[in-house]
Amino acid sequence: MSDTAVTMHDIVKTYRETGRCANDHVDLTVGRGEILCLTGENGAGKTTLMKVLYGMEKPESGTIAVMGKRVKIDSPLDANRLGIGMVHQHFMLVDEYTVAQNVILGREPMHNRFTIDADAAKRLVDEVIHAHGFSIDPSARVGSLTVGQKQQVEIVKMLYRDVDILILDEPTAVLTEQETASLFETLRTLRDTGKSLILITHKLHEIKAISDRVAIMRQGRMVGQFETASVDERELAGLMMGKSFSPAIEKTPYGRKQETVLRFAQVSVVRRNQGRPMLKDVSFVARTGEILGFAGVGGNGLGELESVLAGTLPISGGTITHRGKDISKSDAHRLRECGLAYVPSDRLKVGSALEASVSENLIIAARKRFSRHGMMRGKHIMQHARTLIDTYSVQGTADMPIGTLSGGNIQKVILAREIAQYRDYIVFSEPTWGLDIASSKFVHTQMIALRDAGASVLLLSSNLDEILSLSDRVLIFSRGSIVAELEGERLHTVTKEEMGAYMLGMHVREAAHE
Amino acid sequence: MNDRMDRRWKRFLGVPRSALGSLVILFIALAAVFLLSFLLSKTPARTLRYFFIGPLQNTYYLGNMLNTSIPLIFGALGVSLAMRAGSFNLGGEGQLYGGAFIATVSAVAMAGWGIAGVICAIVLGAVTGGVMAAFSGYLRMKWQTNELITTFLLSNAVSLVVGYLIAGPFMDPTTNLIATRKIPESFRFSRILEPSNLSSALVMALVMTVVVHLYLYRTKSGYELRMYGLNPRFARYGGINSGSYLVLPMFLSGALYGLGGAMAIFGTYYACMKDFSVGMGWNALAVALIARFRPVAIIPAALFFAYIESGARNAMLHSDVTFEIASIVQSVVFFLVTSSVLQRIGTKRGRG
Repeated sequence: MSDTAVTMHDIVKTYRETGRCANDHVDLTVGRGEILCLTGENGAGKTTLMKVLYGMEKPESGTIAVMGKRVKIDSPLDANRLGIGMVHQHFMLVDEYTVAQNVILGREPMHNRFTIDADAAKRLVDEVIHAHGFSIDPSARVGSLTVGQKQQVEIVKMLYRDVDILILDEPTAVLTEQETASLFETLRTLRDTGKSLILITHKLHEIKAISDRVAIMRQGRMVGQFETASVDERELAGLMMGKSFSPAIEKTPYGRKQETVLRFAQVSVVRRNQGRPMLKDVSFVARTGEILGFAGVGGNGLGELESVLAGTLPISGGTITHRGKDISKSDAHRLRECGLAYVPSDRLKVGSALEASVSENLIIAARKRFSRHGMMRGKHIMQHARTLIDTYSVQGTADMPIGTLSGGNIQKVILAREIAQYRDYIVFSEPTWGLDIASSKFVHTQMIALRDAGASVLLLSSNLDEILSLSDRVLIFSRGSIVAELEGERLHTVTKEEMGAYMLGMHVREAAHE
Repeated sequence: MNDRMDRRWKRFLGVPRSALGSLVILFIALAAVFLLSFLLSKTPARTLRYFFIGPLQNTYYLGNMLNTSIPLIFGALGVSLAMRAGSFNLGGEGQLYGGAFIATVSAVAMAGWGIAGVICAIVLGAVTGGVMAAFSGYLRMKWQTNELITTFLLSNAVSLVVGYLIAGPFMDPTTNLIATRKIPESFRFSRILEPSNLSSALVMALVMTVVVHLYLYRTKSGYELRMYGLNPRFARYGGINSGSYLVLPMFLSGALYGLGGAMAIFGTYYACMKDFSVGMGWNALAVALIARFRPVAIIPAALFFAYIESGARNAMLHSDVTFEIASIVQSVVFFLVTSSVLQRIGTKRGRG
C-alpha cells in the first residue's frame, strides 16, 4: 500500500464549446490522511480537475491512480466505487425529500428487490450523522434546511458511501464563520480517521487554517504544490495571481450629504403555521453614500430580509418607504420601477435564465430601454452586452447561453447588469460567494465606487471579513431581529468573536436606533 | 472585424452539424418504412412507390398534402408559443373545433358584410380558441391548477357541446350531412392548385409562422414571454409581471388553434361538419414536437407530417396495405422523429 491516495498525471482537458484548455498537463498528488487545498483564480481549472477525478469530465489525456492503482474513472458511480466522493458548490439535493431519503439515494437499503427499508435507511443515516457529530435531523425535509445544513447533508451523503477521498468544491463559500469553524472541526476529525480531503477554495486564511498542503493552479496549469506551513498568505496570493497583490481594501471615510433612501419601520414577517416570526420589528434606514452591512447566521432572518427587499415576500406588519413613498405592498415589478437594483444570492435559480444568452440576461430589468414601440433593438442590445463584457472582463461572448459560463463569470454578468441599471439603491446578497480574490476585489471596488458616487448600498453577507471591511454601518440579525448596530469607532474595534456573540444572540441590542 | 468573421464562419459550419441529427433520423425512419413494407406487404415495391411517390405524383395529391399541413402549422405554432412560456396547451382539439364552429356560424350570420364579415368571422373563431385556452391560464394564475389537465378537459367538454350544436340547433336541414350551413361563396378562400383542395390559406400559414417567430424573438413581449418560460423566478426577479405570462401565451396559443380551425373552414370545408377536425389538434402537437417548438422549423415539420400521412393513405388506397399497417408505419416514423436522443446527434454535448 502506498502513502498517496490519488496521483493525477499529465491531465489535459479542453472544453469543446469554448476551445479553452482548462487543464494543461496538470499533475496532482494527494497523500493519505491529509487535507489538501486546491486553490487558484476563477477559471484556473480547479473545478475541472476535480470533475475529471470524479468522473464528470473526460480528459483528452493523462492518467489517474487511486491508492497506487492505475484506474479509469468514467462516471461519478465509478468514482464512488473507488472511494471518491464530491460535494459540489451547487448542491445536488432533492428539496422535496427528507435528509435520509437524499442520503440513501442511489444506494438504498432494501427489504427485498423492490421495497426500500425506510427504517434501516433512517437508522443508517442517523448513525453517520452521530458518528461525525453533525446536527441534522434525518427526517427533516431538505428544502427546509439552511445552506449550512444542506452542506452537511451533502457530506453525510458521501460518508454514507464510505468514501476515503472527499472533494469539497468551495465548501465555505456560503457558510457563516461559526458554520465554517464547525465544518473545519469535522474535516479535521475525518482526516484523523485516515480520510483524504481535497478542498477547492480561494480564501487564503482558510488555506492556512485547515490544510496540510496546498496546490495552486493558474490559467489551467499547476503552479506548484507546497507544505502549507512553508508559505505565507502573501506568497500564496502572489502565486495565485501571478503578480503582487494587496488584500487590503482602501476606502475613504464617508462625508457626503446623507439622504434617507429606504426606511424600514417595525417590519415583520410571519409565516402561517409558524410560531416565531421570520422577521420581527425590523427598523432601519439606508442612506445615500454609505454601505450598510447586514450580518447574521443562516436562518436568522437575512434570507427573509433579502426576499422582502426583492419584493418576493410580502410583509405582515410595518411599513417600508422609499424616498418617502410607501412601498410596503410593492411586488418585484413595482420595486424595479422604483429603481431597485439587486444582486441575488441565488445566481442560478433567481439571477439568470441559464439557457438564455448573455445579452438576453443582461437586459432583463432594463428591457424598456432596449425596446422601441414594443420591438427589441437587437443592435443596441448586442452593443450593450459587448460593452459590459469588456468592462467586467467576462470570459464569454454575448450570444453564448449564460449557463455555459463559469460560476464567477455568471456573477460578473449579474453584477454588470445590476450596476448598469441602478438608480439610487442597490442590494447585494452574498456578492462574492465563490469568486476568486481578483474578482472579489473587483466586486468590492465596484461597491465602494457606487457608494462614493452616492448610492445607498445594502450588503447582506455571511462573510464577516467582507462585512467588516466594506460597511460604514453594520446591523446584526439574530432570530429575525436586529440585535446590534455598529458604526464608527465601534465598528473599527469590534472583533469577529464579538460579532459572533451578537449573531448568536448572546448580547442584547445596545446601540439604540434613531 | 476578425471576431465577426469568426462568428459567421461558425454559424456557417453550425448549420450542417445541427442538421446531421435530423438527417440520421430521416434515414432511420426511411429504412424502417422499407423494412415494414417488405415484412407486411405482399407487393412491397408497389406499396413503397405509392407511399413515397404517391403524395407527389400529381397536383391533386400534392395540393391535398399541402392543404393537410395548413391547420397543422397553425396548431403547432400555438403549442410552441405556449411551450415557450412554460405552459402546456393540450386542448388543441377543442380550441380548433370550437374556433371553426364559431367562425362558420358567424360567417353565415354575417353573409352580407362582405370582406368585413370574413375578417370578423375569422377573428371571432380565433378569439373563441384563445378564450378557451386563456381560461385555463387564468385558473392556473388564480388557483395554481394544472393547465395541462384543464385545457384537455375543457377541450373535451367543448367538443361535445359543439357536436350537439352542429347536430341540433345549427344543423343545415337541406343536406344529409351532420353539418352547419355553408359559408357564403364570396367568403371562401380561392383555390390555388386545382383540382386539389389547396387554398390560399397556405399563405396565411406561412405569414403566421413569420409573425410568431418575429413576436417571440424580436418583440419585448416575446422576450418577456421566453424569459418567463425559461425561468419564472428570474422573470419575476427582473420585474416581469408574471401573472400575465400565464394567461397571454395561452390566449395566443388557443387563438392560433382557433385560427387554424377557421382556416380549415374558409379554405377547405366551407361548413362545420361534426367531428371534421378530429385528430388535427393532436397531430399539430406532434408537429410541434418534431419542430422542437421552434416556429421556423414548424413548416418543414408540418410538411413532413403531411407527406407521411398522405403517403400512408395512398399506399392504403393503391396496394394491399391495410389501415392498421399504414398507421403502424406512420407511428414508427413519428416515434423515431420525436426521439430526442437521435435529435441530439451532431449537436454539442450538453454540460454534465
